[in-house]
Amino acid sequence: MLVEPMRYLSSALLLASAAMAAPNLAIVLNSAEETLSVIDTATMKETKRFPIGKEPHHLMATPDDKFLIVANAASNELVFLDRTTGEVKNRVKNISDPYQIGYSPDKKWFVSASLRLDRVDIYNPETFQVLKRIPLPKAPSHLAYSPDSKMVFITLQDTNELAAIDLETQKVTWKLGIGKQPAGILMTPDGKYLLIGILGDKYVEVVDWKARKLHKKIYTGKGAHNFVRLGDGKHVFLSNRAENTISKINMETLTVVDSYPAPGGPDCMDVTADQRYLWMTSRWARKVSILDLQTKQIVKQIPVGRSPHGIYLVSHAPRK
Amino acid sequence: MLPDDTGAEGQTVIVEWFNIWHQWIFENIVQPMLYRMEWMSFDELAYDWTHLFLLGALEVVLLWALIRPLELWLPVERWESRKATRVDVLYTLLARLGVLPIFFFIVLTPAFDWVNAQIRMAGIIPPSFDNLLLYVVLLDFVDYWRHRFEHRFNIWWALHAVHHSQRQMTFWSDEREHLLGQLIAAALRAAVGLAVGAPPATFVTVTLATAAIESFSHANVKLSFGRIGDRLLVSPLYHRVHHAIGIGHTGRTMGCNFASVFPVWDVVFGTANFTHAYLPTGIDDQLTGRDYGEGFWRQQWLAFRRMAG
Repeated sequence: MLVEPMRYLSSALLLASAAMAAPNLAIVLNSAEETLSVIDTATMKETKRFPIGKEPHHLMATPDDKFLIVANAASNELVFLDRTTGEVKNRVKNISDPYQIGYSPDKKWFVSASLRLDRVDIYNPETFQVLKRIPLPKAPSHLAYSPDSKMVFITLQDTNELAAIDLETQKVTWKLGIGKQPAGILMTPDGKYLLIGILGDKYVEVVDWKARKLHKKIYTGKGAHNFVRLGDGKHVFLSNRAENTISKINMETLTVVDSYPAPGGPDCMDVTADQRYLWMTSRWARKVSILDLQTKQIVKQIPVGRSPHGIYLVSHAPRK
Repeated sequence: MLPDDTGAEGQTVIVEWFNIWHQWIFENIVQPMLYRMEWMSFDELAYDWTHLFLLGALEVVLLWALIRPLELWLPVERWESRKATRVDVLYTLLARLGVLPIFFFIVLTPAFDWVNAQIRMAGIIPPSFDNLLLYVVLLDFVDYWRHRFEHRFNIWWALHAVHHSQRQMTFWSDEREHLLGQLIAAALRAAVGLAVGAPPATFVTVTLATAAIESFSHANVKLSFGRIGDRLLVSPLYHRVHHAIGIGHTGRTMGCNFASVFPVWDVVFGTANFTHAYLPTGIDDQLTGRDYGEGFWRQQWLAFRRMAG
C-alpha cells in the first residue's frame, strides 16, 4: 500500500534537491556586442559580462544537459559553456555561419541554419563534421524537427516559405508558401502542427505539415516572432516584437488565451522552473525583462549588452 | 562596454540617455515604417543603422564643437567668405549620418554575401579577426595604397580631384569625395572585411574612430604633433602638405603624405614629406582657371567629364 506514495515522495524529493542544486543563473547573448551576460536570478543582477565571439544569436543545452552551446554566427564557431556556471569549456571551429541550431530528437543529427548565407548545414552531432550543405532561397532562419526525427523544417524569412528537409536523403522535399517574413517555428506536442511566427504580420501560421497545407491563422500582435513553451505540455508563449506584447497560446485549441506587456522589442524567452515568471530579451532596450505571469506586470528590467537575443535559464520550466 | 566583473550600473548617464533615444527613435519611427513597408526582415539591420545615424550625428556635433573653435583660434587661412566650404558640410552629413554608407551597403552586400556563400560551399571558412587595432592598421594600409592609386591613375584621379579641388580646406573637407570614388573605397574596405572575417559592428567602430582623425587632419588649423608625433599620427600640418598646390599631386609618386591615419606607410614606401610649412591647398591647374565645380552635382558631373577625357 505504501509503495506508490513512497515512490512519489522519493521522486518529489529528487526533483526538489535537483531544483535546489541548480544554480540561479540566466545566460544572455548580447548579439551586437559580442558578449555574454551572466545574471544571478536570485538578486536579478548581472554578475559578469565577457567577450564570447561575433554575433552570438542563439543558444541551447546539449542533450545530456551538461553544456550550453552558443552559436557565434560571424565567428563560425560553437562555444560550449558549463551549463551551471556559464564558463567557456570548449570551442568548435569551422561551423559556418551558425544562426539557429538544433539536435534532432533522436540526437542523430545537428542542424545549423545560416540566415545570412542562404544555407542549411547538417552535421554529425558527435564529431561536428559537416555531412551536407544545402543551399536554400533567401534567409533560412529558425528550425524545428518532426517527432520521428526524419524531417527538419526551416522558415525562409525572405521568400516567405517553409522548407522541409528529409534528413535521411538530406534533400529539400517540399516547400510551402506562408506569411510574410516567417521567423520562429515550433512543433505542437501532439506532433500534428507547426506553429510559425509571422514577423511581417500579426499572426501565427498553423501548418498541417503532414498534409502540407495551411491549417489556420492565430492572430496575436504585430511582429509575431519566437516561441517558448510554458512547460505544462499545453501552452506556449509568443513574442510580438513590433507590438511589444507576449501572447499565450493554447496548443490544443490553437487559440490565444492571454496577453502580456513586453516593452523594448521582445525576442527570445525562457520560463522559470516554477512557471511563475517569463524572462525575455528586450532587444531594443538592451535589457532583460522579467514578466510576472500572475500579475501581468514587468517586475524588473536588467541592463545587459547591445541587442540581447538568446536567453537561457539554468533552472527552467520543463521543455514540453 | 563593461569590464567583466562589474554590474551594469557602471554605465554612464550619457550612454544610458543615448540608448534611450536610440530605442525611442527605432520603436516609434523606424520600426513602424519597416512594418508598414513589409521590411521587418531588416529590423535588426535598421536598428544598427539607427545607431550609426545617431553616433554619426553625435560625432559631427562633437567635431564641430571641438575643432571649429581651434579653426577660429589658430587658422592657417582666413577667408572673407566661407561659401566654398558649404558643399563640404553636405558631403559630411551624407557620409557621417549613414546616408551614403547605407546606399553602398545595399549595393554591395548581395554581391559580397554571394561570394562569401560560394567560398563556404567550397568548404573554406574565412578566418575570424578579433584584434581591433590590427584591423585598423590593415584598413589604413589598404587605404594608403588605394589613395596612392587614386593619384597614380588618371581615370581614378579624375574622381579624387573633387577632394583636392577644395581651396578652403576645413575639417568638413574630409568627406568631400566623388560618389563613385566613395563606392570603390567602400568596396575595397568591405573586401578586406570579408577576407579577415570582420563583422559589420567592428567595421562601424573602426570607421567612426578613423573618421574623427581624418576630419581633424583636414582642419584649417596651424598645428603639428611635433617631430615625433607627426610620424606617429597624421596631423593637420602633415595632411595639408598632401593637399598643397605644387606638392600634393606632383613628382614621381604623384604626391606625398598619402596616409590617412598612420604616416608610417609614407615613411616605409618613400612618400613622406615632413615639410614644416602651412601652404595653400588646391590643384595646380585651378590657378590657370580650370573649373572643378562649386556645387555638389556639378562637381560630380565634371568628374565624369574628366574621366571621359
